[in-house]
Amino acid sequence: MDTAQKEVLFGLYDDEEVLLDAVRKAKGDHLEIMDVFTPFPVHGLDPALGLEESRLHIAGFIYGAIGTLFAFGFMTWVFTRDWPIIFGGKPYWSVPAFIPITFELTVLFSAIGMTVTFFTICGMWPGVNNPTLDDRITDDKFCIAFNTNGQSKTEVDRLKSFFKETGASEVNTKVI
Amino acid sequence: MGLGILCLLLTFFLDSQPLHVRFWTNFLQNTVFFTGIAFITLFIYAAFITSWAGWYTQFKRVMEAMTMFLVPGLVLLLVVIAGLWLGWHELYHWASAEEVAKDQVLLGKSGFLNKGWYTLGTLVIVGIWIFFAMRLRSLSLAEDQNGGVDFAHHRKMRIFAAAFLPVAGFSSAAIIWQWTMSIDAHWYSTLYAWYTGASWFIAANATLILLLIYLKSKGYYQGVNEEHLQDLGKYLFAISIFWTYLWFSQYMLIWYANIGEETTYFQTRMHDYPVLFYGNLVMNFILPFFILMRNDTKRKYGTLVFVCVLVILGHWVDFFQMIKPGALDTAIHAAGAHGGETISGAGGHGDHGAFHMGFTIPGLLDLGAMLGFAALFIFVVFSRLEKVALEPTNDPYMAESVHHHV
Repeated sequence: MDTAQKEVLFGLYDDEEVLLDAVRKAKGDHLEIMDVFTPFPVHGLDPALGLEESRLHIAGFIYGAIGTLFAFGFMTWVFTRDWPIIFGGKPYWSVPAFIPITFELTVLFSAIGMTVTFFTICGMWPGVNNPTLDDRITDDKFCIAFNTNGQSKTEVDRLKSFFKETGASEVNTKVI
Repeated sequence: MGLGILCLLLTFFLDSQPLHVRFWTNFLQNTVFFTGIAFITLFIYAAFITSWAGWYTQFKRVMEAMTMFLVPGLVLLLVVIAGLWLGWHELYHWASAEEVAKDQVLLGKSGFLNKGWYTLGTLVIVGIWIFFAMRLRSLSLAEDQNGGVDFAHHRKMRIFAAAFLPVAGFSSAAIIWQWTMSIDAHWYSTLYAWYTGASWFIAANATLILLLIYLKSKGYYQGVNEEHLQDLGKYLFAISIFWTYLWFSQYMLIWYANIGEETTYFQTRMHDYPVLFYGNLVMNFILPFFILMRNDTKRKYGTLVFVCVLVILGHWVDFFQMIKPGALDTAIHAAGAHGGETISGAGGHGDHGAFHMGFTIPGLLDLGAMLGFAALFIFVVFSRLEKVALEPTNDPYMAESVHHHV
């Protein structure tokens, strides 16, 4: 994430179908979209934007596997090497009793690991400045944003006419 | 297609006649397995209707056709019941009066485990299931003919479906105790009904996927695409984990409490039937879990078909290991009581760990019997399916199903 100030030109749409058509048209016209904001997940937006599938779940699997090994290994070490105690006449290394805890630590590791990874990738640590282009994009507006830093007037006009053609209800600029 | 294998089945029946234990356990196992698939399909269907789901609407005729196996299922169960009354088989320990008389535990259970309740329970409960299956199917078909904008048929279906859910929950638990849990008459587990229910659920789900892929390959159901299959695959994945959860819960509680009358169930299976016991876990949890974990394996036909065949076989093996050990034990006792006749096999005296075809591992005859029952199942489904339009026309959720996107 670069922290430099950006001049953003953005258009607001009233409907997700109109937004999807606009995104497809922008791709066809080779306009470089900075980001798209929607109040809810829009089906078909990811392929329209050409986004790759997230690899977060692979990280999650790895964290989960670490959790499994850690939990099982730790209990094995404690109950066979470090502090063997007989519980209810069971053997020291009583695998069935370890399974629930192993399962829980697997879930815990993968959940916390994925959350931390996700926040790190998105740069969302505490105290981060997170400006919104328009508050209504969390409510009922669908937004396409272009970065107009260092663009000439004709390029900006081209973007504005694009918004007009594709049926944006509002076009604004904001420096974030 | 079905008839060829059906003839094969008849040969197998004649062939396995001398080992009447093997014949009857196979018969019971496959009857319960496939009737259960039909029942749980009805349950899934009712749950979908009640939850106002729309994505499955395109192929709901296949599910309706699958529930129609309940009728031949009842006929097959009547054969088991006839055998029970006429003494054709020694499946159930509690069925012999002299055994019960000298057994305090069985005497205590005889209020529920007796021939009368078995017969009545099967007739009434499967009868109720058939009633709901018929009702939902006829309402759904009538909607095609004269469904209007007020969706009266759909509202009515919703009432029947919602009424069926609690009925299904309690009745299936009661009847599975009779059908299979009572084979180990001394043993009991309160998780058993859930466990078998989950087993049926996966088998039914996998059967549905296979039928859909087959029908698609024949050019029907072109609107059913990988989005629908991915959702069905997710069910397969989720319920496989649920099944494992129940399997482990049942195992761990018994292991932990360490009460003799309960642990004997698992002791027998772990020591005398190791292939079944561990194979069951590998087939039904480890392989589907790792194969179906990825997104694309649920969307590609190859992997999905492989997993479906695997888990159908896996849960068939699951029922195999639920039924065989107890029934064999009962048969050995019965043979001992009658004198003369001896039955060999694992669970026999000092025969630990030996492989015995048809008991500790499924042999070709058992697989043949399974194929025969499967063929009958498919025959019933397709003969029900060919009578109706494959895709519903007046269902309010049809459009949603066509545009389904995960």
